[in-house]
Amino acid sequence: MRKVLLVLLMIAVALIGFAGTMAIKGSNTVFPVSQLWIEELKEMYPDIEITLEGAGSTTGFTALFNGTADIANTSRWIKDKELDRMNEEGKFFIPFVVGYDGIAIVVNKDNQLDNITVEQLKGIYTGKITRWSQLNPNLPNQPIIFYTRNTASGTYETFEGKILNGERMDPRARMVESTQLEIDSIAQNPYAIAYTGYGYVNDKVKVLTLEGIMPSIETILTSEYYLSRPLFMWVDATEGFPETGDVKRYITFGLSKRGQELVDQAGYVGAYGK
Amino acid sequence: MDGEKKLTARTLKYHLNTTLINTIAFSGIIILVILTSFIINESIPALTNVGAELFTSVYWYPTNSFDPEFGILAMLVGSLYITGLTALFVLPLGYIIAFFLFEYASASEVRVIKSAIDLLSGVPSVIIGAFMLVYVAPLSFKLNIYTPENILIASLGLTILSLPYTASLMQEAMQSVDRSLKEGALALGSTRLTAGFKVVSRAAISGILNAVILTVNRIIGETMVVLMVSGGAAIIPRSLFDPVKPLTATIASEMGEVATGSVHYSVLFFCGLILLVFSFLLTISARLIISKNKHV
Repeated sequence: MRKVLLVLLMIAVALIGFAGTMAIKGSNTVFPVSQLWIEELKEMYPDIEITLEGAGSTTGFTALFNGTADIANTSRWIKDKELDRMNEEGKFFIPFVVGYDGIAIVVNKDNQLDNITVEQLKGIYTGKITRWSQLNPNLPNQPIIFYTRNTASGTYETFEGKILNGERMDPRARMVESTQLEIDSIAQNPYAIAYTGYGYVNDKVKVLTLEGIMPSIETILTSEYYLSRPLFMWVDATEGFPETGDVKRYITFGLSKRGQELVDQAGYVGAYGK
Repeated sequence: MDGEKKLTARTLKYHLNTTLINTIAFSGIIILVILTSFIINESIPALTNVGAELFTSVYWYPTNSFDPEFGILAMLVGSLYITGLTALFVLPLGYIIAFFLFEYASASEVRVIKSAIDLLSGVPSVIIGAFMLVYVAPLSFKLNIYTPENILIASLGLTILSLPYTASLMQEAMQSVDRSLKEGALALGSTRLTAGFKVVSRAAISGILNAVILTVNRIIGETMVVLMVSGGAAIIPRSLFDPVKPLTATIASEMGEVATGSVHYSVLFFCGLILLVFSFLLTISARLIISKNKHV
């Protein structure tokens, strides 16, 4: 009898142990935010177990549907397709806005261009404008080398939606595997242009104003800057709002003053307390 | 009675052993069959949903939410272009190294070159990719080429990667030729160059062709270097300095983020199937060449 009890106890402990592991999946853009939160959360609650995986917003939603993630990080709003699936499966996901990301347009430091319009940007990325001199006769008559992000990244989807507006990106767009690599390429290449999360911009590259507006905390939070987007964390609330548990602890911490400071630290703009 | 019992234990042990050995021996075949059927199975939806567009279209817009298009032609051409160019670089180089090792090198030179080749073959492809990306690609700015990741750079990286492999295989092929042939040629007054080039190489032709095919097979399936330095633009290249997006790089880049079970997912498996078919055909032809020339 004792043995049986012991075995049952062990199984129970094992189950609780597994249940205690919280999984977060989704956008590579939101990834650094989650990473910073988890680091501090682990100091506050040493027993908390969190796994974090950055694989794109779409993957985040898929994982939330499959139940392989407790939180989906996304850098875009839910798509109609996903909304339909949610209704079909009788599920209910709720979003928390954790911060804002501005997509900065960057060029090489030697580039004389200061401002670009949405129309020009669209022209470049759809292949209608191919030379710098077409933007401004004072610019060199050299080809524009334009970089893009992996098609499954949230940054790509936002750019596609806001700039391309249904048109296709020119196949000559150069795809690189990481944002860091993109920035480094721009820093070296005098005729390159790229779009990247505001958080990744450093002083190796030059940020252009878009329609005359420089991406900054104010312009991004108010979406006065055109390429600004909220960052979300989605939680499965099919069984009701998660009032207790690790997910709640995580979200509460994230929306606290310290959590929002960490959003800034990740290079984005905290949504609250500005 | 006692003896019979012993015999049963022994037969049992024998049967156990043979089963174990057979299972392990066949596991390679089993894995191959499972893998192939898995890939074929996953790529069927691509054929039924996309169909001929796969090969007729050069436009790769797998995630376009308005009008997705799944043309893999540009990527296929990119793969073949890079493979062809690399073969053009690496095969002569590999042959020259093998020829030198076989014909001219002294014992100590052979030792040094062989160990250098062995060390080079141990360098992980990601290191070669990073080296090309960080140190070699930026040099193209000096030549007024503003796509630093392009076909030429990728081919050079692949050349570094496959050179040790090619050279070793070719050297082995030449060494397998009977010494008497070379000595006979020399005794008849031919120079070392003629003896090596016309006599030994001709006798070793099946081994050399085998090395060529295995090298091509290796290049076409290489992923890391092309993912890092081929440029990642799915276009039909017009010059050596155009970026391309080979099939392997596409699979590696997109498989991690694709929605499982979608058409895009299936098309990526179809790309894998094409690579598998290439590899299969190349291996078969290598076998044919060897068996055809066995009597030589």
